[in-house]
Amino acid sequence: MATTVTSLPEPLDPDTTAPGPAARAGGGRLYLRRFARNRPALFGVVLLVLLVLFSVCGGWLTHFSYTDVDFTALTQPPGGTHYFGTNQGGNDVYAEAVHGLQRSLVIAVSVSVLTIVLAAVIGAGAAYFGGRVERLTLTVIHFLLVVPSFLILALVSHHLAGDWRVLILVLTVFGWMSTARVIWSVSTSLRERDYVLAAEFMGVRPWRIILRHIIPNLGSLLIVNLTLGVVATVLSETALSFLGFGVQTPDVSLGTMLADGSGTITTAPWLFGYPAALVVLLTLSMTLVGDGLRDAFDPSSATGARGGRR
Amino acid sequence: MIRHLTRKAAGWLVMIVVATNVTYVLAAWFLDPRSNYRGLRPVRTEEQIDHALAPYNLDPRTPLADRWWHWFSNVLLHFDWGKSPVGASVDSEIGFRVVVSGQLVTAATLLSVVAGVALSVFTASRQYGWWDRTTQLVSVFLFNVPAAVAALAVVFAGIWLNQHLGWRLLYVAGEKSPDVSGVWPTVADRFRHLVLPTLSLTLLGYVGYHLTQRSLLLDNINSDFVRTARATGLTRAQAIRRHALRASLIPTATSVAFSIPAIFTGAVITETVFGWNGMGQYFVQTIAKNDVHGAVAVAAFGAGMTAIGAILADVAVVVLDPRVRVR
Repeated sequence: MATTVTSLPEPLDPDTTAPGPAARAGGGRLYLRRFARNRPALFGVVLLVLLVLFSVCGGWLTHFSYTDVDFTALTQPPGGTHYFGTNQGGNDVYAEAVHGLQRSLVIAVSVSVLTIVLAAVIGAGAAYFGGRVERLTLTVIHFLLVVPSFLILALVSHHLAGDWRVLILVLTVFGWMSTARVIWSVSTSLRERDYVLAAEFMGVRPWRIILRHIIPNLGSLLIVNLTLGVVATVLSETALSFLGFGVQTPDVSLGTMLADGSGTITTAPWLFGYPAALVVLLTLSMTLVGDGLRDAFDPSSATGARGGRR
Repeated sequence: MIRHLTRKAAGWLVMIVVATNVTYVLAAWFLDPRSNYRGLRPVRTEEQIDHALAPYNLDPRTPLADRWWHWFSNVLLHFDWGKSPVGASVDSEIGFRVVVSGQLVTAATLLSVVAGVALSVFTASRQYGWWDRTTQLVSVFLFNVPAAVAALAVVFAGIWLNQHLGWRLLYVAGEKSPDVSGVWPTVADRFRHLVLPTLSLTLLGYVGYHLTQRSLLLDNINSDFVRTARATGLTRAQAIRRHALRASLIPTATSVAFSIPAIFTGAVITETVFGWNGMGQYFVQTIAKNDVHGAVAVAAFGAGMTAIGAILADVAVVVLDPRVRVR
C-alpha cells in the first residue's frame, strides 16, 4: 500500500479517503497509515529502536563495565577487545558509550514527560481561568523565556550536582515554559467550545473540566511536543554535562564523554567521535519521529517546520 | 511610535533589573563562597572564614536581605558589581570580557539572521527543488547538533585546514595573539581568531531562521497581495522579495529577542571550547569558584544582550509593519 503512493510528496491522499467509513472507524489506524507513508519518520523510528536496543543490550557484547580500568590499554585506538578504544584513564569507550546513552536517554525521556505534564496543567489552567491568573502566568513564562535560564540552571544544578535524578528535577523546573505557551495558545480556543461550556453549566469543577475536557483534546499536540522535548532535553543535558554542571564523574553521560574527548580531538579522535555521533543520531531520530507525528496528526501543516512561538 | 518604543524599552529595563536581582538571590542561596577557604593550609575555623569573607559582602552570618541591599545600592550608585570570594574586583574582570563576548554574540546573531533569511528566500522560491531539499536536510541535521559537538567539529576542521595550508590561517584558541601591534595587524589578528567561533555559533543559530522563515514565506507566497504585485509586472522573485518577504519578516523579527538567550548559551560553550576570555567562560569559572557577584554580573550581561536584541527587534517591527507605525 505504502509503496504505491510514496512518490506523491503532498499529503493529499488521506483527505480524500478520510470520509470513508473505514477510515473514520479508526483514527489511530489513519494516523498510523499517514505516519508509515513518511519515509524520514520511519527512518527515525528504526534509528531510535536501534539506539534504545544499543543502550539496553549493548553491554552484553563486552565484558568491560564503564567503571572498569584497563591499565594495559591507555588511549588505545578502536579495535581488539575494546571496540571503541579506550580513554586516557583506561576506561572502555564502548562500555562508557552504552552507559552514557542509557543515562542521557533516561534523563531526556523522564524530563520531557514531566515537562509536558507540568506544561499541560499550567498552560491549560491559565487558558481556562483567564483573567488575572492568565496574565500572571504569561508574565512568568515570558520572564523565564527571556532570562538566560541556562545560567540559572547551571547555578542551581552545580550546587545540587552529582545525582542525575536531581538533574531531572532541575531540567524540568526550567524547561516547561515554551511548551506551556504553545499549549496555552491552543487551549484558549478550546475554552470556548460548546462541550466545555456545557460542562460548566452542569457544574463540573474547573480542574475536572481542564483534566477531562481540555487536556485530552490537546493529545496530538502533547505527543508531538513530547518527542521534541526529548531533543531539547538531550541538547541541554549535553551542554550542562559538557561544562561540568550536569552529570558528574564517576557517572557518565554523553555530555561528560564529549568533555573528556574535547582535549584530544586530533590525537585521539575516537574519544570525541563516538559520543558525538550517538548524540546527533539520538536527537536526529527523535526530530524525525516528532515531525512525522505532527504531519500524521495534521496533514495541513507545512511539514511542521514552524517554531512553537512567535 | 516613539512612545511605543520608549514604553517597550522601559519594560525591558524592568526585566533586566528583576532578572539580575532574582539571579543574585539564587546565587547567594546556592553558591557557597566559604568553600574557597576550606582547602587552605593552615586550616581555618568556619568563624575565621566568615570573617575573611565579610569585607567582600559575602559573610553568611549577615542576613541575605542586608547583603542584597548593600550589593544593589553599590551597583546602582557606583556601578560596582562587587568582589570575588578572594577579593578580586568583578568590574576589572568584566570590563574587557564584555567586549569579547559582545562581538561574538553580535556577529553570530547578525550572521544567523542574514544567512537564515537569505537562504529561506532562495529556497522558498524553489519549493521542493533540489536546493530546497538539500538545504532543508542540512538545516534539520544541524538543528540536532549540540553546541559542544558543533564547536569541536569546527575546531577539528580548522586544524585540518591549517595543516593542509601549511601555515596557521585561522586560530582555534584564544581571542587574540599577545604580541601583535599596529592597527591593521591587530584587526587582522582579531579577525583570524573570530572566524571559527562565530562560524560554529552561526551554524547553530541560522537553522531556526531558515526553517521558520521558509514556512512563513510559503504561507504568504500564494496570497492575494503577492499575486496583485505580480500583476503589476514584477517578476516572481521581485514579488517575493519586496512583498511576501516583508510581511513574513515580522514574526521573525520578534523572535530574534527570544533566540538571543540560546545564542548566549551557545557562546558559553563556544568560549569554553575555543579558550576565549569572554563572559561565557567567566561564568563557568565563577560558578566553579562559588563567586556570587561574578555570576550575577554575567546574568545581567545576558539579560542586557537579550533586551538590546528585543529593542532592536521592536525597531525592526516598526519599520516593517505599517500598522504599528500608525498607532
